[in-house]
Amino acid sequence: MSTLEIRNLKKSFGGLLATQDVSFNVASHSLTALIGPNGAGKTTLFNLITNLFPSDSGSVKFDGVELRGLSPSAIARLGVIRTFQTARVFPGMTVLENALAGRHRLLRHGIASQFLWLPGQRREERQLAERAMALLDLVGLADQAQRPATDLPMGAQKLLEVIRALMAQPRLLLLDEPAAGLNDTETAELAALLRAIQACGVTVMVVEHNMSLVMTIADQVIVLEAGRMIASGPPAEIQANQRVIAAYLGQEAA
Amino acid sequence: MNSFIQIFLGGVLQGSIYALLALGFSLVFRVTGVINLAQGAFCTLGALITYSLQVEAHLPVPLAASLAVVITTLLAGIAGSVLFVPGLTRLTNSNMLMMTAGMLTLFEGLVLVVWGSQPYALPPFSGERPWRLGGILVQTQGVWVIGVAILVIIGLGWMLMKTRLGQALRACAENPMAARLTGVDVPRLQLFAFALAGAIGAVAGIVVAPAIALEFDTGRLLTISGFIAVAIGGIASFPGAIAGGLLLGLVNQLGTAYVSSLFSNALSLGLLLLVLIVRPAGLIRAGVVRRSDVRDEARVWQHVTRISAKAAWRVAALALLVALCAPYVLSNGLLSALIITLILYVALIGQDMLMGYAGQISLGQAGFMALGGYTSSYLITAQEWQALPAIGMGMLFALAAALVLAGVTLRLRGLYMALATLAFGLLIDSCTVGFDDITGGPSGMVGIPGLELFGLDLDTPARMYYTVLALVVIVLISVAGAMRSGFGRALQAIRTDPLAAAALGVNVVGCKMVAFAISAMLAALSGSLYAFQFHFLAPEMVGAPRSLELVSMLVIGGEGTLIGPLFGAALITILPTLFQPLAIYKTLASGALLAGCALYLPQGMFGIALRLLPRRTGA
Repeated sequence: MSTLEIRNLKKSFGGLLATQDVSFNVASHSLTALIGPNGAGKTTLFNLITNLFPSDSGSVKFDGVELRGLSPSAIARLGVIRTFQTARVFPGMTVLENALAGRHRLLRHGIASQFLWLPGQRREERQLAERAMALLDLVGLADQAQRPATDLPMGAQKLLEVIRALMAQPRLLLLDEPAAGLNDTETAELAALLRAIQACGVTVMVVEHNMSLVMTIADQVIVLEAGRMIASGPPAEIQANQRVIAAYLGQEAA
Repeated sequence: MNSFIQIFLGGVLQGSIYALLALGFSLVFRVTGVINLAQGAFCTLGALITYSLQVEAHLPVPLAASLAVVITTLLAGIAGSVLFVPGLTRLTNSNMLMMTAGMLTLFEGLVLVVWGSQPYALPPFSGERPWRLGGILVQTQGVWVIGVAILVIIGLGWMLMKTRLGQALRACAENPMAARLTGVDVPRLQLFAFALAGAIGAVAGIVVAPAIALEFDTGRLLTISGFIAVAIGGIASFPGAIAGGLLLGLVNQLGTAYVSSLFSNALSLGLLLLVLIVRPAGLIRAGVVRRSDVRDEARVWQHVTRISAKAAWRVAALALLVALCAPYVLSNGLLSALIITLILYVALIGQDMLMGYAGQISLGQAGFMALGGYTSSYLITAQEWQALPAIGMGMLFALAAALVLAGVTLRLRGLYMALATLAFGLLIDSCTVGFDDITGGPSGMVGIPGLELFGLDLDTPARMYYTVLALVVIVLISVAGAMRSGFGRALQAIRTDPLAAAALGVNVVGCKMVAFAISAMLAALSGSLYAFQFHFLAPEMVGAPRSLELVSMLVIGGEGTLIGPLFGAALITILPTLFQPLAIYKTLASGALLAGCALYLPQGMFGIALRLLPRRTGA
C-alpha cells in the first residue's frame, strides 16, 4: 500500500528544469532515501511536496489526497511534516519550547481556553512538556531544555528539528539532510532514531548524502540527477546500478 | 476646464513633493532593505533651519537654503552613523522600522525644543504674486517645487547610472554580501545613502515650506505621505517612487476638489489598500524573488530569559502589595498619572502580544483607542447607555475595524502591515476631526461622565485606580496564560520563521489575525477608560503621536516581555508629571530612548530588571 504517490512532477525556474518527470511511490511505514549529486533537485522535490512553491504539472497524492494547491500549513495538518536543510529552530525560544511548537497542529485546547487558564488546558501543557522532555532525552538534549535553542551547536539544532517534527506526530516525515553536521556518534544515534520512528508506523523520506547511512537504513532509494529520476529500488540494487555509479557513487569512489 | 487644469497642476505640485519624499524612502530601502520613517523629519529640519537663517539671521535665500541642506545632511549623517548603520547588522528589519520611528520622534523632539510648537511659514522664493498663463494662475513656488523635483530626479538618476559610486550603491542594493566580497565598503555606502536621503528630504522640505505651514510634527505627516506614495508606486524602484508620488498628489488634489477635503485622506488610503490588494509589490515592480526555503541571515539576537517561577511569583506578589498601597501614599497628581499609566498599559499588553510575540508592527494602535473611546463616550453621553455595554460596543467596533484591516493586510509579507496600520491611524485621525457632530471635532468631546459600573460610582481617584488595577491584573494574567501556551509559541514561531511555522501546521494568517483582533479590542478598552478618566476626549489624545508613543513605551520597556511595557508607560507618563519643566523634552527623550533601546537594549528596561532576578535553570 502506498502512502505517497508522485506522478510526472515537473517544475522549472525560468529556463532551468529543476524537476521533470519524477514519478514514484512511497509505501506506508517504509523509509525512502532520496540521493543524488548536489543540484539534483532533492530539496526542490521536498519543497514541491510541501508546496513551498507550486509545481508546474503532475500530481502529488498523500493517502489519496491531492497535495498540489494546498497551503504548506494545510499539508502539515494532514500529517506531512518536514525539516529543513539548514536547521531552522526558532530563535528567541528555548529548546523545550521549540519541541513543543511542533505540537501546534494537535493541540486540543483552543486559544480561548489558553487565555482562561482552563485546568484541562494546563494539564495538556504539562503532559506535552513531559512528552517533549522524553523525546529530547532520546537525543541527549533533555539537560539543555531550558537553554535558548540557537545556543546549541549545529548538529544538536538539527536533532532538535527532528524532535520538533516528531512532536507533530507526522504520518509522513520528510527529513532534509538530517545527518549534515553530525559527527559519527551522533549519526549512529540518528540512524537508531530513524529506525525507531519507522517502527512507530511513520513513513519517512530522507534526503541524505551519507551513503553508508542511506544504505543501512533505507528500504527504497530514489536517485535524482539534474532533476530527473535515474533509478529507484532497494539499496543493494542501487549500489549495483551502473548509471547511478556513473552519476554519483562513481564520482565519489574516484 | 480651467479649474480642472488648476487642480491638476496642484496635484502635480503636491505629487512632486511626494515623489521627492518617496525617492528618499526608495533610496534607503534599496541600499539597506529598511523603510526609514525619519525621512519626513529631514524635511522639517531643512525648512526650519532655512527659516532661522533666512528670516532671523537675514541671509540671502540661496545661501540659507544651501547651508540648511548641508546642516541637515550632517545631522542625518550623525544619526546614520550612531544609530541607523550600526542597527543594520544587529536588528531585524521590523526592529529597524521601530528604530527609525524613534529617530523620527527624536528629530521631532529636537524641533520642539529648538523651535517650539508654533507654525512657521517661509516666504516664497520669488514673491507672492502668481503668474497668469491664459486663465490659469500658477503659484511661483509651484514652479520651484516641480523644477527642483525634476533636477533632483535627473541628478540622482545620473549618479546611480553613470558613476562608479552609483554602481557600488546598486551593487549594495542587489547583493550586499557579494558587494562586500568584491571590496565595496558596504557600511560606508549605507551611511552615504542615508545621508543622501537626508539631503533630498531637506531640499524637499525647503522648497515646499513656503506653500504649507510647518510645525514640529509636519515631518510625521510628510513621512506618512511619502510612505504611502512609495508603497503605491513600488518601493524597490525609482520610477515607481516617482509615479506613486505623482499619482498620490493627483488623487489627493482631485479628491479634495471634487469629493471633500475630509475624505482626501480616505481616498489616498483607499488607493493604497487597492494597490496592496491587487499588486502588493507596488505598481512598478523591481527586485529579485528570494528562495524562501533558505532563511535570510538571522539578524535576530534576542536573548531568551525565563525567570524562575518562584522568583516571578514573589516579585509579582510584592508588586501587587505595593500597588495596593499606592493610593494611601501618593499625591492626587501622581495617582492620576499612575492611573493613566495603567490605562495605557492595557493597550500595551495587546500591542506587546502583536509586536513582541507575533512580530507584527502596528503604528496605529491609537486609532483603535479612538474608536473605543469615541464610541463608548458617544453612546453614554448622547444615547444614555450604561458604561459596560458602551465599552463593549467600542471594543466590537475596534474588532470589526481590525478584522477588515487584517483581512486585507495580514496576507501580505514584510512591513506592509505596519504601513497599513499607520494609514489606518491617520484615517481615524481625520475622521475624529471630520465627524464633528459626533466627536466634537478638533476641540474634542466634553462632558464625558466618569466610570460607573453596576450603579457604583467609580469616579474618585482611588476607586478608579483600584478598578483599573484589577482590570490590568485580569488582562495580564489571561494574556500571560495564552503566551506561555500553544498560542504564544505559535506567535513567536511566526515572528522568527513564518515558513518553518507553516511547515508545522501553524495557521500563520489566522494566528496573526487573532493577535491583531485582541490587541485592537484591548486598545479600544484602554481608549474608553482614558476618556472616562479625563471626562474629555480630543483627537490629539488618541492620534498618530499617541500611536508612536505607545511604540516607544513598548520598546523602552522591553517588547515580548508583557511586564516590560508597564515600565515604559510609567517612565514616559510619570516622569514629566514629576518634573514639569522637563515636559518639553518628553518627545526628544522618548525618541532617543526608543532608538537607543532598539539598538542597545533589545529587552528594554525589563531586560535590566531581569538581570537582578534568578534565572530558571534545569527542567
